[in-house]
Amino acid sequence: MMKLSPALLSLASVFKIPLRPYTILPAPSLLPKPFPSKTPFSTSSVSLARKDQRNKVDKRITLIRYHLNHPATPRPLRFSRLRALRHWTIHRAAQLHLHTQRRLEQLELERQYNAMRAACEELRVGLDDGGRLYRQTTTRKGLFGGLKMEGEIVGNGGVPIEYAKAQVDGPPRGGWDHGWMR
Amino acid sequence: MAASKVPSRLLPFSQKQKFVCLRCQWTTRRSASTYTIETDLSEDVVPDSSLLTPQPDQDIVTAWDPVQRSRNRKRQLPPSRYKFRPPRYYRGPLHPHQPPSPSSPNSRLFVPGPFSLPRLQQTYTSTLAPDLLSLLYTHHPPGTLPGPTGQRLRGWDNTSPYHKNRPLRGPRGRAVLPLMKRPITFRNIPRLEKIVVHHVIRSSDNRDSSYLHVAGMILQAVTNVRATVCKARHSIANFKMTKDVTAMAVKAELKGEDMYCFLSKVVDVVMPRIKEYKGVSGGSGDGSGNLAFGLQPSAVGMFPEVEVNYDMYPPKMIPSVDVMVCTTATNDRDARVLLSSMGIPFHGKHAN
Repeated sequence: MMKLSPALLSLASVFKIPLRPYTILPAPSLLPKPFPSKTPFSTSSVSLARKDQRNKVDKRITLIRYHLNHPATPRPLRFSRLRALRHWTIHRAAQLHLHTQRRLEQLELERQYNAMRAACEELRVGLDDGGRLYRQTTTRKGLFGGLKMEGEIVGNGGVPIEYAKAQVDGPPRGGWDHGWMR
Repeated sequence: MAASKVPSRLLPFSQKQKFVCLRCQWTTRRSASTYTIETDLSEDVVPDSSLLTPQPDQDIVTAWDPVQRSRNRKRQLPPSRYKFRPPRYYRGPLHPHQPPSPSSPNSRLFVPGPFSLPRLQQTYTSTLAPDLLSLLYTHHPPGTLPGPTGQRLRGWDNTSPYHKNRPLRGPRGRAVLPLMKRPITFRNIPRLEKIVVHHVIRSSDNRDSSYLHVAGMILQAVTNVRATVCKARHSIANFKMTKDVTAMAVKAELKGEDMYCFLSKVVDVVMPRIKEYKGVSGGSGDGSGNLAFGLQPSAVGMFPEVEVNYDMYPPKMIPSVDVMVCTTATNDRDARVLLSSMGIPFHGKHAN
């Protein structure tokens, strides 16, 4: 038996590692195994005998099943009084912050809307061109649906595809990619 | 003391406080001392209520000293005496034992977050919403209303005397009443509401649950939402379907952060890499602002979460996926403008 240090022993006891004495296994004998003495019960040939015909499940699927059946929700957090208060304070503050942000966005949109309406009204009535400029401004041609050019539909229904890029923090490393298309 | 308020609706009309607004009336509390037995209760109210229980004796009140009592206690109370325990079952809003509110972390419904501001969401609030507002703006001169709305439910021509008092007819050709079209203002700019990603299992694969499991796993990996299994709604013997037993589909409903992340993944990563991709069919949509498109298994394999360990899934079982984008737009036209401004290309004839 191998000698183990007491530190290792205590670690093994902590982590519940079973300590097995290291033994040398006997080498597998190279001699052929003895022929089974019992005669098979069936007289049919071996090839006809049924192999293991249970459909074997892919190991990946077994793994997926294992992870899908992960025991559900952990128990909810339990906070002490002070921690709960702290959480409550932060939660309220975050909600308030979100609320003010949303309200500011709403107000900004409202301001823009009112400005647009005032401008349209000015164009319609204020200029003495019989509302010509107003009509030109408020036309919505090509906004919805593909623009038809020479029998085929071009474009993305009014909104150019170059416009539809999510905002990023900075410019790309390689500058403007002229070959970019979608 | 807790039972000292009598809802005023239980009192007869003569007893109700007059000249008090309804809200004040509801919050009015009557203390037990002002409550007289002479109040004629209606017959629905039990006369011998707890309101009429006499107060405890004075010596009991003076002898009541909870602080001293707790000091005299030799050992600590068991936790069950001082800890709040949420009810196992929700017994309705009127039950005194209520679960914690969903915003408190003690609740099982508590969802922490939001932890991030997805780029698409940020783009929407800062750029897309004002642009859509100006794109979809229709001018109505002050004092005028948007034109008369057509007849929504059709009436009967009074050719027959039996038409009298008949209810109005439904819309022609369909069972669902189409939504009203309202002018877009700063209040109702179309925005994303939710996205449902689902995969319908082929009936030939229905016997083998592994297709279901792999599809569920992929949906979960891609959308960050636990996929739920949809069961058959009807029993059909020919298809070997049993109601509420046979699994038909897996689906994941995305909202908020997950929704924006998923859509930006589809737009920025998956769609540009699909070979010969023309775009989403312009004819998609249910007429009320919900558009849908499908992704082939090869496209689903291109999601970064799937691609990164593609070998984890049996390649034959990678599902094709339907994506339903629900917007707050009331017609498909506005919804299409919204989605195309988010980067989804549309092709073909646009059904507006």
